[in-house]
Amino acid sequence: MPRFLTVFVLLLALAFGLELTPWAQAFVVTPWTDTVARVSGALMRTFDASITTSGNVIGSNASPFAVAIEAGCNGVEATLVLVAAMLAFPAPWPHRLAGIGVGVATVQVLNVIRVVTLFYLGQWNEHAFEWAHLYVWQALIMLDVLIVWVIWVKMAQSDTAPGSPRAAAA
Amino acid sequence: MTPDVQPTVTRPTTVGRFVLRTLGYLPVTFFVWYFAAPVLLYPAVLIVRAIAKLALPDIVRSVEQARATLTFITALRPSGAAAGSVLTVDVDLLIYAYGLPLFAALTLAARERAWKRQLAIGYAALLPCIALPALADFLKSVAITAGPAVASQTGFVAWQREAIAFAFQFGSLIVPAVAPAVLWVALHGRFLAELRHRAGASP
Repeated sequence: MPRFLTVFVLLLALAFGLELTPWAQAFVVTPWTDTVARVSGALMRTFDASITTSGNVIGSNASPFAVAIEAGCNGVEATLVLVAAMLAFPAPWPHRLAGIGVGVATVQVLNVIRVVTLFYLGQWNEHAFEWAHLYVWQALIMLDVLIVWVIWVKMAQSDTAPGSPRAAAA
Repeated sequence: MTPDVQPTVTRPTTVGRFVLRTLGYLPVTFFVWYFAAPVLLYPAVLIVRAIAKLALPDIVRSVEQARATLTFITALRPSGAAAGSVLTVDVDLLIYAYGLPLFAALTLAARERAWKRQLAIGYAALLPCIALPALADFLKSVAITAGPAVASQTGFVAWQREAIAFAFQFGSLIVPAVAPAVLWVALHGRFLAELRHRAGASP
């Protein structure tokens, strides 16, 4: 456990430092954030035709309220945390890669749900929006990361347990 | 004579049940956290005051607490302000403290025998994770956001402003979210091992 936590914290600090570089912001974070806005907008348009998106901003023709997806709300940091946790934990590489693929998708799906709920919450009540935005959804996203990681670790141990097909093949 | 003792039947904890219990506890822990914030966060305020007194005596005159808001009363003059006026900076501690209810919900949901001790250790360990990002937020305000007229009074050079910017980003985006999860994992090794090794149990 101490080794895992040390490697995890080091990987996370490194990945976060890289994320803050102008190159990563221009070529990864900004396009990623705009994609989150586009996907969220497309999802909302399936039941709300008034939704518009422009860059990282989601608005509505029916309301003056709009949200801008910024750092901390684009799911990038949660993704970095999950990837660092999966890389730091001892597991076979195929299991790691599968976990990263499925885990990142899970985090992003929940993040899109967060964006959609925050958009409508903000139109309804500013105080509720602030609460959900600053506290509740932050905790839920990290809970999601933690649960995905726990399930992944559990599956890693099943895969490498004596008698499992993967252990037999190894 | 057969002893009238029934074996205790406890449902084994699966990840699904654990998640449901955590989601059930979260509204309760958030409620307690929000209304008890002035008391719960007071030790974090003491940490901020101590660091400000030791490390920033020329910049910070005092740090006041009003509910969950910290007000830094500085020795800096706002840009274009009259002589004698000083800059004050407010920092909302709750933004950095939502890990407390998350940690509490996770700990209560794990239902370990030592949950009170785990709560106490987690609470104590999370306090610096609230205080330090709050300080980084304050430093970012005076060294970067407030503009060159204020920043020049702080005496920070370029690399120090870069370090402050990184500390603020790391302290606001990573630490409040990750610290409770890391602490919970570190304190619940046995519970996690039990979850992992539950043969044949579905997630």
